[in-house]
Amino acid sequence: MDKKALGIDAGTQTTKAVLMGDDGIIASCVIQSGDESDASARAAAEQVLQQAGFALDDNLFIVATGMGGKSVSFCHQSKGITTCLARGIHHLLPGVQMAIDMGAESSTVIRVNERGRISDWANHDKCAAGTGMFLQQMAKLMQMPIDKMSEISFKSKSRADITSTCAVFAESEVISHVHRVPPTPMPDIAAGVLYSVVSRMITLCKRIGIKEDVAAVGGVALNKGLVHILEQELGLKLLVPEEPRLVAALGAAIIARETIEKGKAS
Amino acid sequence: MSTTRDKQNRLSALIKASRLLKRMNSASPTSRKSATLYYEMMEKYFTRLQEAPERGDFIAAHTVFFPAEVIYAMDLLPMHTETTTWMLALFTGECADLLAAGAELGMASEICSPHRGITGAYALHTLPRPDVMLWSNMVCDNTSKSGELIMEINNCPGYFLDHPFKETPEEINYFVGELDGMVRFLEEQSGKKMDRDRLSEIVSRMDYQIELFRQITELRKNVPTPFSPQGFLELLSIDYLFPGQPEAITYLETLRDELTEMVKQGKGAVPEERFRLMSLFIPPMYLMGYLEKLSKEYGAVSVTEPFFTFWGEGRLDPAKPLESIARKSFMLPEMRMFGPMDDRALKSIVQCAEDFKVDGAVYYADIGCRHSCATIKLFKDVLDEIDIPVMTIDCDVVDPTITSKDDFRDNMERFFEMLEDR
Repeated sequence: MDKKALGIDAGTQTTKAVLMGDDGIIASCVIQSGDESDASARAAAEQVLQQAGFALDDNLFIVATGMGGKSVSFCHQSKGITTCLARGIHHLLPGVQMAIDMGAESSTVIRVNERGRISDWANHDKCAAGTGMFLQQMAKLMQMPIDKMSEISFKSKSRADITSTCAVFAESEVISHVHRVPPTPMPDIAAGVLYSVVSRMITLCKRIGIKEDVAAVGGVALNKGLVHILEQELGLKLLVPEEPRLVAALGAAIIARETIEKGKAS
Repeated sequence: MSTTRDKQNRLSALIKASRLLKRMNSASPTSRKSATLYYEMMEKYFTRLQEAPERGDFIAAHTVFFPAEVIYAMDLLPMHTETTTWMLALFTGECADLLAAGAELGMASEICSPHRGITGAYALHTLPRPDVMLWSNMVCDNTSKSGELIMEINNCPGYFLDHPFKETPEEINYFVGELDGMVRFLEEQSGKKMDRDRLSEIVSRMDYQIELFRQITELRKNVPTPFSPQGFLELLSIDYLFPGQPEAITYLETLRDELTEMVKQGKGAVPEERFRLMSLFIPPMYLMGYLEKLSKEYGAVSVTEPFFTFWGEGRLDPAKPLESIARKSFMLPEMRMFGPMDDRALKSIVQCAEDFKVDGAVYYADIGCRHSCATIKLFKDVLDEIDIPVMTIDCDVVDPTITSKDDFRDNMERFFEMLEDR
C-alpha cells in the first residue's frame, strides 16, 4: 500500500485531521479537543483513518501542528502553524496572498507568496481579546449561543463601544451595556463585540501590509457576522474556504505528502 | 508599601558568575581565548566596583552611551548602570525583586527595564553608592527617568550631559562645551584633576579600538561566519564598559586573530551554518544561554547588528580629545540608527543585509524602548523591499514577564521554519 499523508492540527478548542493520498484529500474530521493534546490527536487520527478504512499502524507519514502539535507523540514531524496555514490556503485558494487565521486562543495573519510559502506573519496571543474564546465568553454574558450573536449583529444600527485591549475590561463593558437603563440593544452589543475582535485583526493585518486577495480561516471564520464586519473594515471581500477550520491540518497533510514524494518519509 | 530589603551586594553574584565562566572557558580546549579574557574583564570591572568603598575609590555611575573615556582619564571608577542590570539578568537570571523595587519608586512597567532594575537595585542597597550620577540624552530618553532618581536615592550630586541632536560644527562645539562642564563638575566633586595627556592616550586607543571593531565586523561577513551566534553582546559590553582601555585592545586583538584563523581554515561558529541573521536591538538577556543553544541547534548565527556593531566612518584625533569624543558620539552605531532619522539609517540597514548575506532579521521589540520600537515598520519595510523577512518578537531585555521561554522558542522555530521553506 502507498504511504498516506496524515495532517493533524491539535488546537485548544478543536482537533482537526486530514488524510491525503496521491489524488488529494481522502478524508477529514474535526473533533472537540480534550485535556490532553496527544489523546485528542489520536482520537482525530483514528476517526479520519476509520472513515477511509485505514488504521494508525498502516503505512502513514504524520505531520502535526497547532498549539498542541509538539505533544503529539505518534507524529513523525511537527511543524509551525504558520507554515501549515500557508500550504493549506494555497492549496485551496491558490491566488490568496494573505490569510487571517482566527482560532480559539490565538490569532495570526500570514502573507503567502506565489509558491504557497509564508513570507511574513504577525500573531496576537497575549490576551484573550481578539480570539474565539473571547467571543464565546461574550456570547455567554449575553445569554445566547455564538451563532445567534453573529446573526443579530446584522440587525445592529450602531456598534456599542467595547474595548479591544483586554478581555476582562470588555466583559465589564458588555455587562454594563446589558444592564444600563435603557439597555443597549443586543444587536448593537453583538456588533460591538465582533468589531472589538475585528479591530485586533486589522492591526495585525496592517503590521504585515494588507493585500488584495485575503482569506479568513480558523474556527472564527465561520462567524458570518464577524466576517461581514471584517470585510467592511478591510474594504474587500474575504475568501472563506468551505471548512475554514481544516486549513492548517490540510497544510500539515500537504507537507507530509511532500515529504513522502521527496523520499524522506522513511 | 514594603519591599524586602535585600542587603546582599549583587555585585558578588556577577563576580562569581564571571569567575566561573572564565574558568570554564579557560579549561575548555574548544573555547576561544578571547572568551576567557572577556569574562576576566567582567570579573575585574565588577570587583573594582565592589571594592571601591573600602579602597576609597570615587564611583561615577553613568548611563548608556555616556563617554566613559573622561571618567577613566580622571582615574575615577565608572559604573555603567544599564549594563549592570542586564548583566545581572544575563548572569543570574533573576531581577524580579529589583524591578519590583523600581516600580515602588514610580518606575512604571513601560519604562525600559534596565532603568527600572537599576533604580530598584540602588533602592535595595544592593550596589555600592555612587559618588556622582552622570546621565545624558544620547539616544536613550529613559536615562532622564533613572538619572535623577538614582541621584535622589543615593543622595549624591549629578550632572546631565546635554547631547545635540544633529552633527553640525556648531553642535559639536556645543557638546565639547558640555563635556568641559562635566570635567569641571567631576574635578570639583572628586578633587582630582583631569589628566589631559591620559585622555589623549585613551582617545588614541579608542580610535584603534574602533578600527578593531571594524576589522572584526569585516571578518564576520565571511561564509560561514566565524563569530559565535550571539557573540556580539561581548562587543557591546566591551564598547560600553571599556572605552579606550588596554584590556579592551588585548581582547579585541585576540578575538580578531582568532576569527582570522577560523576564516583561513574555513571554520564557522556553528557546525552547519544554515541561517545568517541580522539582529535588531537586544535579545532578552535572561534567555541568552537558551538563545545561544537554540541558535546552535538550528545553525542560526547573528552576523550583523546594525544598532550595535556598525560603526560610522571617521577617525579620532588624540590631539583634540574632547572634540574627538564629541565626534565619536555621532559615529556610534546606536546614534547612526536612532539619531536623526534619515535615509542614512535605512540605507545602512539595506547595506548590512546585503554585505553580510543575511537570510532574515529578528527584531527584538523591547517594550520599554520607544526608539527601537518606533523604527520597526521603517526597517521592516526597507528589508521587505530586498526580500529579507523580518520577525518581530515582543520582549524585554530584563523582565521575563513579557515573553516566556516557550513563546520565544515557538516564534524562533516558526521563523527558522519559514526561512528554510522559502
